[in-house]
Amino acid sequence: MDITNNTPLRTASSSSTTRDPIPQIVSPKFFLFPTHSQPRPTVVSASSAMDKQPSSFQQLEKLGEGTYATVFKGRNRQTGELVALKEIHLDSEEGTPSTAIREISLMKELKHESIVSLHDVIHTENKLMLVFEYMDKDLKKYMDTRPDRGQLDQATIKSFMHQLLKGIAFCHENRVLHRDLKPQNLLINKKGQLKLGDFGLARAFGIPVNTFSNEVVTLWYRAPDVLLGSRTYNTSIDIWSAGCIMAELYTGRPLFPGTTNEDQLQKIFRLMGTPSERSWPGISQLPEYKPNFHVYPTNDLGVILPQIDPLGLDLLNRMLQLRPEMRVSAHDALQHPWFHDLPQLQAQLQQQQQQQQHQMAGSYGGMIPPQQAY
Amino acid sequence: MAYQKRPTSSYQPCDTFFVESYDNAPAPRMDPKEHAKFIARERQYAIADELSRITSDEFREDIVSHMLDMDAATLPDVESIDIQTEIQWFMRPYLLDFLIEAHTAFQLLPSTLFLTINLLDRYCSKRVVYKRHYQLVGCAALLIAAKYGDKKDRVPTIKELKSMCCSLYDDDMFIQMEWHVLQTLGWTIGHPTVDSFLQVAVLDTAYDPEVEHMALYIAEIALFHREFVSKPSSDLARASLALSRCILDRPQPRHTEWASQYDSMTLVGLSQQLHQPSQVLSRKYSSTHYSRVSRILEQFLARQASIATYAPPSPPSDMVTVESKPYEGEIGLATPQKAPHPSNMPHGYITPPITPENDVFVTGGNSYIKVAGTSACSPSPTPPPNVQYVSGHAYPQETAYSQQYLQPQMSFNAGY
Repeated sequence: MDITNNTPLRTASSSSTTRDPIPQIVSPKFFLFPTHSQPRPTVVSASSAMDKQPSSFQQLEKLGEGTYATVFKGRNRQTGELVALKEIHLDSEEGTPSTAIREISLMKELKHESIVSLHDVIHTENKLMLVFEYMDKDLKKYMDTRPDRGQLDQATIKSFMHQLLKGIAFCHENRVLHRDLKPQNLLINKKGQLKLGDFGLARAFGIPVNTFSNEVVTLWYRAPDVLLGSRTYNTSIDIWSAGCIMAELYTGRPLFPGTTNEDQLQKIFRLMGTPSERSWPGISQLPEYKPNFHVYPTNDLGVILPQIDPLGLDLLNRMLQLRPEMRVSAHDALQHPWFHDLPQLQAQLQQQQQQQQHQMAGSYGGMIPPQQAY
Repeated sequence: MAYQKRPTSSYQPCDTFFVESYDNAPAPRMDPKEHAKFIARERQYAIADELSRITSDEFREDIVSHMLDMDAATLPDVESIDIQTEIQWFMRPYLLDFLIEAHTAFQLLPSTLFLTINLLDRYCSKRVVYKRHYQLVGCAALLIAAKYGDKKDRVPTIKELKSMCCSLYDDDMFIQMEWHVLQTLGWTIGHPTVDSFLQVAVLDTAYDPEVEHMALYIAEIALFHREFVSKPSSDLARASLALSRCILDRPQPRHTEWASQYDSMTLVGLSQQLHQPSQVLSRKYSSTHYSRVSRILEQFLARQASIATYAPPSPPSDMVTVESKPYEGEIGLATPQKAPHPSNMPHGYITPPITPENDVFVTGGNSYIKVAGTSACSPSPTPPPNVQYVSGHAYPQETAYSQQYLQPQMSFNAGY
């Protein structure tokens, strides 16, 4: 039985301003008894509002498994445009998953060059298909395919970090926490663009910031306050993740590859020093705080990141503050002097990329003109 | 949300779907362990407040401007709802009562209720809804709102919703309707709710649960009325807050603050709807969890009524009379001929002012003066020209404006 009624309400026609009628004596449960006898209003023009069909996209190879979905490469049959198709299996018991509701509604609000754009939502019998702009790779894969164990050059790192922080700043300005930043969720293309993807764990926050679940962010990129059980984290949790990612861009390896919650905290403290009530007032009140944490001294990040320049190290230190209050905001991070020479570096980078792209377009045999791929 | 984080009694007692009464939930006694936990929690709140303040300082302007944009983009269209063929406005309060009870039973966030009603009204602005499906649309809206904002373990299951609807609809119908609501609204769910704007508005003032609860109560009363359906949440939030402060006799914020820029016509409109709130709603807000604000409001309105009715055509020269002979006023109400403008009373005040509480009688003068003091409080009528209030209840100058607008409604003058 199809209960959904696509008949749009027709507006305009003289709508008299009726007053609230005084409630009649009607059984409060009057709507509990369907009145089948009533004639159905004739349904005007059918399914005009229906979205595109899944068949309008050709499904190509699998790109990866997201947190709650599978992502395929796809091609729009009409335009030839490449897209990313994210398939979400629908729970037949409970309807549309909350992750999908949040992801789709938030991504519709977040239109920004550093955030992957959502083109369409297609619904079929048992799955939901999100059509995203196509990006070539995620950052993890990109680093894995690089020589030198994934270490990137200075200019690329700076450009990626700038775009990452721009994307984060835009989310935060629009009261959205991403809550799952990691290289796998950062997508890049041949133009050297980096965009935030996978908003499956994202959510809107209010002012003041509400309490949230602490089951967020992949362990390696999870902020110490969240690891300590804080549920009142704020925008600073995304900044911690960004700091971890920045270090990883330099070394090609995750900064804190913990195995469990405790191990993760230990790895962080071993490098950043064990916090105390003196260095972090209030820490002892956090649920997972143990007074017997092994006490490590604070180390210089520069020792494990010899490649980094002093300004970059300063920015990294500001992002990897244990105390959430002390962490730099995305907006301030973008103003950091480390980014001052970005325009020059970008000009150089663009030149390199144009050359590369030229070669690649050749190798594709001209099948996809580069400008159409995006 | 401050009022979420600091419940006066842990949770609203609720083990059935429809709760009879929240009254007299005994305050649980704390053992030392509980007490230590309580202290720890308080400190965590302090830390959270600090964190929240940092985020606010950094992003407040951007966030508020984004919220205002979203607010304007997600308003229901009341005139479209007017042309619905089957569902009528008079049905809506029944559905709202049902949704409020469901919302309470599932212990969802305050914003979930506002979001639910927003989704419901927006859907009804766009699609023809059959009477037999009205409740289904409401349930689907509740489901979506809960999935959007609430913790996973609080989201109602379809089985629970189905049983609340007395198995009127199949599981499948909930899923279909949920999908259809999402699709009709283009998946734009992030409507900034009245309570989220309320939180912004009280950010700069000290935490005052009573004011927040009263404002929330007023905002939920507004949900029931057609005239507020297409009002932006930001307007409703500020007007509810201003009205709440009037009622509770709290100072209004300075003119420079965002919260002070309320629309006085909205405030007047709200003040006119306070008299007969939904029973479900007034019961919800009579719990200690919500500072019993529905009782406070009732008492306030009763005092207003008694003052308005009492004010005789040629009144005594000063208010001392009113204060020293309090009950004459109320007795006076029972004698119609004493009322100066009985025919002009909105909603015809059929309920007499509440009987004064016992201790007033017992302790006599002293406690009464207190009552009288409050009675002269905020949106109370400007006394007829020849009556002078002795109590120095001077408003801060900024509030003169609101007072001026409030006055005609609350004092049942000839104009109304």
